[in-house]
Amino acid sequence: MNDIKTKFDITDIIEQRENLSFITIPKEHAISLVTYLRDVKGFKHLVLLTAADWLEDEEFQLTYLLNNPDEKSDLGVRVFISREDATMETAHHLWEQVATYQRELKEMFGIDFPGSPDVDKPFILEGWDDKPPYRRDFDTKQYSEDTYFPRPGRESNDPAEYMKKKLYPDEK
Amino acid sequence: MKLKDILSPFTAWKHVVKEPVTIKDPQSREGAERYRGFHKNDIESCIGCGTCEDICQNEAIDLVPVDGIETKDGDSGLRPMIDYGRCCWCALCVDVCTTNSLSLSNHFTWVDEDPDAFRFIPGVDKKAWDNEEKGWKKPEPNYELYGTERVHMPELHAEDRDKSFIEFVTGYSKQQAEEEADRCVECGICTATCPAHMGIPEYIKAIRNDDLEEGLRILYETNPLPEICGRICTHKCEDVCSIGHKGDPLSIRWLKRYIADQNPSEKYKEILNAGNVENNGKKVAIIGSGPSGLSAAYYLALTGYDCTIYEKLPEAGGMMRYGIPEYRLPYDQIDKDINYILSLGVKIEYNVNIGTDITLDKLKSDYDAVFAGTGLHLGRSTRIPGSDHKDVFFATDLLREISLGKEIQVSEKIVVIGGGNVAMDITRSLARLQNNKFGKVDVTATSLESEDIMPADREEVVESREEKAIIDPGWGPTSIEIENDKIKGLHVQKCLSVFDESGRFSPKFDEKDTKFFEADMIVESIGQGMDIEYINPETRDQIEFDPRGRIVVDEYFQTGAKWLFIGGDIIQGPDVIHGIANGHKAAIGIDKFINQDG
Repeated sequence: MNDIKTKFDITDIIEQRENLSFITIPKEHAISLVTYLRDVKGFKHLVLLTAADWLEDEEFQLTYLLNNPDEKSDLGVRVFISREDATMETAHHLWEQVATYQRELKEMFGIDFPGSPDVDKPFILEGWDDKPPYRRDFDTKQYSEDTYFPRPGRESNDPAEYMKKKLYPDEK
Repeated sequence: MKLKDILSPFTAWKHVVKEPVTIKDPQSREGAERYRGFHKNDIESCIGCGTCEDICQNEAIDLVPVDGIETKDGDSGLRPMIDYGRCCWCALCVDVCTTNSLSLSNHFTWVDEDPDAFRFIPGVDKKAWDNEEKGWKKPEPNYELYGTERVHMPELHAEDRDKSFIEFVTGYSKQQAEEEADRCVECGICTATCPAHMGIPEYIKAIRNDDLEEGLRILYETNPLPEICGRICTHKCEDVCSIGHKGDPLSIRWLKRYIADQNPSEKYKEILNAGNVENNGKKVAIIGSGPSGLSAAYYLALTGYDCTIYEKLPEAGGMMRYGIPEYRLPYDQIDKDINYILSLGVKIEYNVNIGTDITLDKLKSDYDAVFAGTGLHLGRSTRIPGSDHKDVFFATDLLREISLGKEIQVSEKIVVIGGGNVAMDITRSLARLQNNKFGKVDVTATSLESEDIMPADREEVVESREEKAIIDPGWGPTSIEIENDKIKGLHVQKCLSVFDESGRFSPKFDEKDTKFFEADMIVESIGQGMDIEYINPETRDQIEFDPRGRIVVDEYFQTGAKWLFIGGDIIQGPDVIHGIANGHKAAIGIDKFINQDG
């Protein structure tokens, strides 16, 4: 860890437990750090690439979770990027499967990875024309109400009101 | 063009003779034992509480009326209709069902060309899977999404309460009340059954939100005596509570008491936003300061009427003060409710007997309308031989004397005839007095009705026994044995049934099965009658009486003498909540009557 700290501009380190740590690094150094971890530090395997929407801070957080099979340890590399300009360098040249993660992140969060294969192709949402649905300012309920409206002719009754109507309609 | 392009379409033909990869749906394949397939509903046990509709995350359920299912107490008459265009078979509706009527079969294939066929009322629209045993049911027990057990109400221990008249039910704490309120599913089935149609789910919600001022406002919309009702209401609402089908019903009465108890009386006016009512210059006289009279006065005062209540006794409250013992309903709580009503400008004239001190005609000429809620205060006698002995008393008389602070006769061995709440009240009061006087309890209550149909509230019977009174139901009194002018006891015979097939009172006895209760004092508590001596013959001629001698009133409690409204125990009940509801309705009727009169 000290070696990484001297070589890279690490802004935060959390040692969650003995074999799991998270480090935060500015966006522009992230891919070189991940490359270094893969090629020099034995973190050969990419477990996942994921994102979180910190709406209030106007940031997305990307996490590259790496695994070192020899030391049996995991390391998460965190990168904060602005929500406004949600683009990140692609990492598909390091692991081929990253392209799939990046395609999904593009679709669900609207985070772009220029140069990533098929990044603009729909992943699971066919014909989506709304805000990326994992962004927290996407109103799921509203979308559902607008899109999946009840079929015509449906009508329901509130039990208490219905009982009043039937049993004591004249009372206040 | 290559040769391959010409030939390739023909290569497709080879599949004609090949086994297909897909197979035809094997109709016989059964869903797993607990598969969540199509809905079933036991229409008889469903009460249309709508909890399934509320929990459905997909808005797939509507509650709809069904031909042949009647709306009645405890059953809205509605049944769930499910839209399979939206259902995802998560079974939350089954898991939350308060009666366990809803379940899922393990059927999962259904082909139809009409899309509307997939909206159906399970149990009503007959389906092939209606009798399928397999599928998803709510696992029992301990799989409820709401609490099935009532939060225990703290009470004084029997030994600590059976010598004194202090209140023994101590009331819920904030935590207990909120925990109890949390069990409510807000179905609102209870509201129709409450005679005053109180906003029960709404005030329970106010407790959950810890907004007790809002709770008080909801109470006063339909009931101006919440401290009193919060203690002694007969709580018919709890009998129909949907949670009660598979657990303890909500403790609605105690929750009401919690709201009233937590709001200090000096803040009532501010909370209820009262006090700015403009007097409309009209006057209403009210006879009797029981629940119906007070309720009528409250709602009339809110509308701007100048109300004067005439009370025969030295204090207000009627049966609530003079019939119900202090250990169940302390006097300061009666005063809290009544004083608030008086603070709105309602006046009470005490110790005034209508008919002798002031005539009804005088009230008629001095006021724009009269409401009478004079109650049932005359004890009824069994008229069995010996019942005219001086040591035979009426329960209502004794209860009144106790409340007036007078000393009553208390003997060592007492038998009470009656199985209603009044009988339990006098039994328990006498037990306390015996304990104080003799250091032991020897009082037996016996009723015509057997234990399962005794009219008294169940808890009254249980608590009487806790206080060492003997309750021995199912006996009909035949005679009182008297020797040397002293009562020796009561002879009874086994009562086989109380009502005939058509529900009429017609007791049948086994004359060979008899018993003798030793006693030196006997109290009769078999019901009360009305005393309407104050109504003069001329007015009485205008009032309609039914064949059983009861006064006939319209829906607003107006009698044939248009200026005279009568409500409360005389008309309906006997209980407090009917009185309150009658008074409220009569207030509306009086307002209509006076306004159309000009």
